[in-house]
Amino acid sequence: MRSTQVKAPKSLQKTLGIGLTVGVTLLWLLALLSTVYVSQNKLNTLFDSALAETAQRIMPLAVVEITNREEPGQLQQIMSFETHDEPLVYLVRDASGAILLKSHNADPLMFNKTLLKGFSSSENYRFYGAWAVQNTLHIEVAEPLTQRRKAIFAMAASLLWPLLLLIPLCFIGTWAFVRYSLRHVLVYRKAIESRGSGDLSPIETKDLPTELHTIATSVNDLLERLRRALESERSFTANSAHELRTPIATALAQMQRLQHGVSDRPLKEKMQKVETTIRGLSALSEKLMQLAKAEGGGLLATQQNDLTGLLQLIVDDSQRSAPTESIRLTLPPSEFKSAINPDAFAILVRNLIDNAIKHGDSDQPIEVSFSANGILNIVNAARVIPADTLARLQHRFVRSETKAQGLGLGLAIADAIVTGVGATMTFNSPATGRNDGFEVSVDFSIIGSNAQNRDNHTNQAS
Amino acid sequence: MRLLLVEDAEGLGEVIRDQITDEGHAVDWVNNLSHADASLQITQYDLILLDLMLPDGNGIDLLKKIRRAGETTPVIILTARDQLSDRIAGLNAGADDYLVKPFDLSELSARIAAVSRRYSGNPNPIIKVGTLDVDLNKHSISREGVAINLTAREWALLEAFIQHPGNVLSKLQLEDHLYAFGAEIESNTIEVYVSRLRKKLDKGQLETVRGLGYRMRSS
Repeated sequence: MRSTQVKAPKSLQKTLGIGLTVGVTLLWLLALLSTVYVSQNKLNTLFDSALAETAQRIMPLAVVEITNREEPGQLQQIMSFETHDEPLVYLVRDASGAILLKSHNADPLMFNKTLLKGFSSSENYRFYGAWAVQNTLHIEVAEPLTQRRKAIFAMAASLLWPLLLLIPLCFIGTWAFVRYSLRHVLVYRKAIESRGSGDLSPIETKDLPTELHTIATSVNDLLERLRRALESERSFTANSAHELRTPIATALAQMQRLQHGVSDRPLKEKMQKVETTIRGLSALSEKLMQLAKAEGGGLLATQQNDLTGLLQLIVDDSQRSAPTESIRLTLPPSEFKSAINPDAFAILVRNLIDNAIKHGDSDQPIEVSFSANGILNIVNAARVIPADTLARLQHRFVRSETKAQGLGLGLAIADAIVTGVGATMTFNSPATGRNDGFEVSVDFSIIGSNAQNRDNHTNQAS
Repeated sequence: MRLLLVEDAEGLGEVIRDQITDEGHAVDWVNNLSHADASLQITQYDLILLDLMLPDGNGIDLLKKIRRAGETTPVIILTARDQLSDRIAGLNAGADDYLVKPFDLSELSARIAAVSRRYSGNPNPIIKVGTLDVDLNKHSISREGVAINLTAREWALLEAFIQHPGNVLSKLQLEDHLYAFGAEIESNTIEVYVSRLRKKLDKGQLETVRGLGYRMRSS
């Protein structure tokens, strides 16, 4: 069975942080083991040398002691001057293995049974054996191995302790350094994230690491190809609009002309129905083309435009097309510059005003206002719209329960433009400060500040 | 008025021409820029209706050319290009109005009337001519509330005099105002229409300036 679980992408910072820390730790451990190994060998050589020297120093004394005895074959144990723990013990035996002399705490059982010359080891002891007096006397000195082991462990521990501090320090240091090294990559990531159908401008690559330049160049090439493709699509849409509008205009004009010469009422009514159908076809094709434009990109302009001036022009135009409607426009005293494409802004505002005209009370004025901080408000008188309908209004072909026959596309087009440029749109019913009505608010301030930042960046670059 | 219609869509051009002719204006209809340019060289038009996307170029170029030449003839752009940037470009190039296809013929008539009124210096559509009340929007004329019927030609003639208050208009100017290229005009046509119009206006309102033409008194 095929797994549908999607593996989360790995963080480069995390991978590098953990990888480098583990690598440094392993190298440190390897260095520690090598040091311990070399030190152990050196210590063994030193200890062995001391052991041999001890045997050779004791042997002449033991020979004198033994040869001066009245009863040469008798065992004699050297007594200690005071009680102490003696790690080095020795045993002097004759050629038959009979013990002639031993140190005060020597246990004969721990010594080699065979009389060996040179170094040998048991589980817990290191021995050195030597012959004297023509191989008639044999001395064997024993040293417990715990001495050597303790020394090695102490040294290994002294090397291991810093590692406990080194591991977290190495991880934090690597994390911070990788983060610092990736700062341009993070800026680049944000720049890619900010690109969308509304903004397909090339991304600045001069601060990127060499390793990522090829990728960044490819991404810019891709953005350019995408921009050209979208432009072709928009050009096709614009040309289609022209090709479609002219025959519709012809059909509408012909139908209106025909009605002038007709006095027969039933025939005239049929002609009016045809005219209404042509108008509906015209409105639908226009809305679909607007929706295609809104979703096709190119919603941001390369330079900023004053939205208050554009709004004045659009409202004047709407007022002229619908002279029976009263539109009250309130503009701020100062300009408000924004990077939104003027055509996209016009489509957005026209759709919102058309929506207000279509669904608002015809005897009440439509209030259009633009605040100094870039918030467009359009309010029309209407019955209060239920909250669940209000939440779905920006979806295609969703209409509120009014008598007006809308296409249900106007607010979807507005929503596509608002989303495309990165602004926000909210619906309120009842309108703010009223008991009824419908209010649309579009906040352009975010686009304004983004565009200003982009301009500042461009100015600094130039 | 005499209008130049520049429109390459045959069906639409035909309807617009018929509509404007029915309203008493003379229309010369051409379907490309070169013919439009040639027409403008030989005739003084009262208004130009200009399509933008034409077979031999963009109407905006012709508009810029005639404005550069100092020509002040009002221009209304009729186009399928509905973008705000197109509209701004058109108005910046010197257009007086911008009408996006498809449009109502009544709206076109209203725009033509509004632009021509603006150019004649009187944007008010209701004016007083002697004892007569003239509504330029509704093409109606009345005296003390009693409507007076005018034919399309008589109305066009009256409109020509209203647009040039106190000016003497020659017979040739009036012919240019009333008739398009190729129209068959009898030698005494203008005299006949002036005579008919005089009977409907106040006595002495429309006077003959011997050897020059006709003039309508402004009061």
